[in-house]
Amino acid sequence: MKKLTYFPGCSAHGTSEEFDHTLRKVMKTLEVELEEIPDWNCCGATSAHAMTDNLAMALPMRNLILAEKMDNKTMGIPCASCYSRMKTAKYELEAHPELAQKLSSIVEEGTFKGTVEVKSMLQFCYEEVGLEKIKSLVKYPLTGLKVACYYGCLLTRPKAVTQFDSPEYPMSMDRLVEALGATAVDFDYKTECCGASFAISTPEVVLNLSGKILEMAKEAGAHAMVVACPLCQSNLDMRQPDIEKLQGVKYNIPVFYFTQLMALAFGYPVSDLLPGKHIVPIEPALARIGETEEPAEKVTKPKKAVEAESEDN
Amino acid sequence: MARVGVFVCFCGANIADFVDVPAVVEESKKIKDVKFAVHYKYMCSDPGQQIIKDAIVQNRLTSVVVAACSPRMHEKTFRRAVAEAGLNPYLLEIANIREHSSWVHQKDKKSATEKAADLIRMAVAKSIANEQLHAISVPVTKRALVIGGGIAGIQAALDIADAKIPVVLVEKSPSIGGRMAQLDETFPTLDCSQCILTPKMVDVASHPYIELIPYSEVMELDGFVGNYKVKIKKKASYVNFSTCTGCGACQQKCPVKVPNEYNMGIDKRKAIYTPFPQAVPNKPVIDANHCNMLLKGKCGICAKVCEKGAIDYTMKDEIIEREIGAVVVATGYDLWDPKPYEEYGVGRFKDIITSLEFERMVSANGPTGGVPVRPSDGKVPKTVVFIKCIGSRDEAKGIEYCSKICCMYTAKHAILLHHKVHDSHAYIFYMDIRAAGKGYEEFVKRAQVETGATYLRGRVSKIYRKDDKLIVRGEDGQLGQVVEVEADLVVLATAIIPNKDNPDLARLLGVSYDKYGYMSEAHPKLRPVETAKAGIFLAGCTQAPKDIPDTVSQASACAAKVCGLFSGDTMQKDPMISTVNTDNCSGCQNCIKVCPYQAITAEEIPVARGSKEMRIVAKINEGVCQGCGSCAAVCRSMAISLAGFTDSQIINEIVSI
Repeated sequence: MKKLTYFPGCSAHGTSEEFDHTLRKVMKTLEVELEEIPDWNCCGATSAHAMTDNLAMALPMRNLILAEKMDNKTMGIPCASCYSRMKTAKYELEAHPELAQKLSSIVEEGTFKGTVEVKSMLQFCYEEVGLEKIKSLVKYPLTGLKVACYYGCLLTRPKAVTQFDSPEYPMSMDRLVEALGATAVDFDYKTECCGASFAISTPEVVLNLSGKILEMAKEAGAHAMVVACPLCQSNLDMRQPDIEKLQGVKYNIPVFYFTQLMALAFGYPVSDLLPGKHIVPIEPALARIGETEEPAEKVTKPKKAVEAESEDN
Repeated sequence: MARVGVFVCFCGANIADFVDVPAVVEESKKIKDVKFAVHYKYMCSDPGQQIIKDAIVQNRLTSVVVAACSPRMHEKTFRRAVAEAGLNPYLLEIANIREHSSWVHQKDKKSATEKAADLIRMAVAKSIANEQLHAISVPVTKRALVIGGGIAGIQAALDIADAKIPVVLVEKSPSIGGRMAQLDETFPTLDCSQCILTPKMVDVASHPYIELIPYSEVMELDGFVGNYKVKIKKKASYVNFSTCTGCGACQQKCPVKVPNEYNMGIDKRKAIYTPFPQAVPNKPVIDANHCNMLLKGKCGICAKVCEKGAIDYTMKDEIIEREIGAVVVATGYDLWDPKPYEEYGVGRFKDIITSLEFERMVSANGPTGGVPVRPSDGKVPKTVVFIKCIGSRDEAKGIEYCSKICCMYTAKHAILLHHKVHDSHAYIFYMDIRAAGKGYEEFVKRAQVETGATYLRGRVSKIYRKDDKLIVRGEDGQLGQVVEVEADLVVLATAIIPNKDNPDLARLLGVSYDKYGYMSEAHPKLRPVETAKAGIFLAGCTQAPKDIPDTVSQASACAAKVCGLFSGDTMQKDPMISTVNTDNCSGCQNCIKVCPYQAITAEEIPVARGSKEMRIVAKINEGVCQGCGSCAAVCRSMAISLAGFTDSQIINEIVSI
């Protein structure tokens, strides 16, 4: 049994309960034991770094120090925002040791050493578990389900800090859902901004930005979207009725956490996905599973005129 | 009895702002043997030099110390002034109080002043031990090597050859012509590139003073200015050029298709090919990396169809040696790979192309017959978005510098697009429009007015697909708004980067290069075509990004420099070289090992006069020795001495402070 230090973050106990719930199931199947950091605190999220640099560093630093006291070499974080704060703090503290020195007067838990690797749960599944193992555990392949993988703005950015996947056109989640048997559509909006916490202060911003993302996902032919961030999920799912009202269109695109799809493919019942937590019903999308490709979609692409011409020569 | 004069320069404010020059002069007057000391605002100017000359005569000076800028800057100037006053020019010493003091100690005037005084004290002490030296004459091989057969190399070769000086022109690819041969029309006059270039290419091939060696590379360069030896690897072409008539039958029948470099990979060429129909020489070569016969020993079709029997699969690379006196490096440029622009979908979207690909499409001899088409479906685009500064002026993803030509060729492309597709519209995203040059600003105006191209000042943040269009989202900085343009085709003006072989070639030639790989000129303003190594000159984008007019000017400047170098039968060389006192030489040969120029050989001489018993001593070739002093430093028996830097001179310097 592999062990992983786990930082659930506040959303795992609230808005993204279905993320946390399926994650725990999936990790069991993958034989990974989650060890929650005892007495973890808020990562600081948007508020702290919008107000004071010191607080924005000190909050994640305390969590990092607590994690270093545990035996595991990696800390896994489901929430993209928590991940970003923790990863940024680690990056800054390593680059500026004097900063850790300064903050030690605020954080009393010990000194920062930088010995624990910080990874998002997506990165952990992709790098440390591996697609081969995931594939081998699939009991019910999600064949026929077309999904648009949406990474949001934080999971792979900034590149210098995250050091994971491409900052503009990442593919790790696409490959993961394909390992589960689903089809990942070619989706140009996978790293666009969803509007994030403007959902609270200026909801129109979110309706516009998330609306655009849904529109592009629909255009790409997706039955559902897959995310790895609680805020993205809530903006795309919870705000979908408002977006539909604003744009005058019907999307009906449920928004899954990638762990929900993993749980499903690993053989957990649909009830374990906590369908009641979704605003947009997930059942129509799940009904697609097992569907075979309609022959009409297998149109052969027109041959490149340029190539055709050169072959004439 | 030594009588030294000290001349301290203000260098305008360069020295005087950080060094107390009058105090330094007073300090200098106290040095023993200094009979005269003075300061002047610009010692290198005519009145400044006159002060030195008058002082030499009036004070019967035996040596001169000029405290000013680096000797690399003005040592020659002051040596000439000293010589004009009747003193041996090598009795001059420079105390570099600018680069070594005022510029580097700007925060501490007191210390800078003390250091300047010390530097002068050392120079005075050294000058007292200076000896009269006389320049050495060495013979000159009047033949020039030009590396690279683009427009820069072609122009340099023709100008040198027209002065009846033989030229060896080495070109890496099978044909000369370079990047210019890939262009359709050229800014700012829109004359056809082929029409102005191909006659020059033919001139090169037929010029009695030019030896054209295509499909070859420089392997080694030995020797020194006026007396270089070059080794050139002539790659096997597997085609006997003397019997080949260039009929083209082999190219028609060859079954192997390879992406065509000339057309930026838009179409295919064969494994036996001439790069383009107007190639010079117009003879095919076999691409050994793709030929079935050479790789697998199966095929041989080209040999079968060749009526002249010109195909020879057994041909080997050949090494050619030439003696030359000067080198012009004209290796041209490559284009920056825009792959890091992932947010544009570079590599994922077929309808994003580079400017040079667009150029090939709109070329009359291009792969699409002169009409731009979308690579995805072959349709003619109506809305084309051009994005400038891809990689240029981009510290995050690309390079810091401006590639200089993109503003102009993008304006040209807008005009060409309008000429080829009348109902099209061009959108151009730009940071600044840099159109400094004769007729350039007018040309950009022409693109804006004549074609109605929409110039949008701002960067593009994202490109995504919608149906079969590319949606280009960028900023219209003048309105402060985000704009989205539905494009059929997107053209990226990718940055110019130096030829990827530049660093290797520069090391081989012994020339310095900068962090990007451009070869460095000797002085950015006053010696723009010379390198720090005598007899090696730079033309075109080898040195920095440039357009055709600048490249041609620089190539002609190189030719003038070569002709100047070859104007006499011999060349004057500094006498600062090593000599061996054979009486003291133990024959250990350590000096041979350390000499970077292979200027020292072992020689056998009789142990004593008339004796038959021999012993080994070092022998220095005066022509080859560059005066670096390595041999003098390692010589354990102190038998080697470097003129101008003798042990007594150096010891004098050290003792003086």
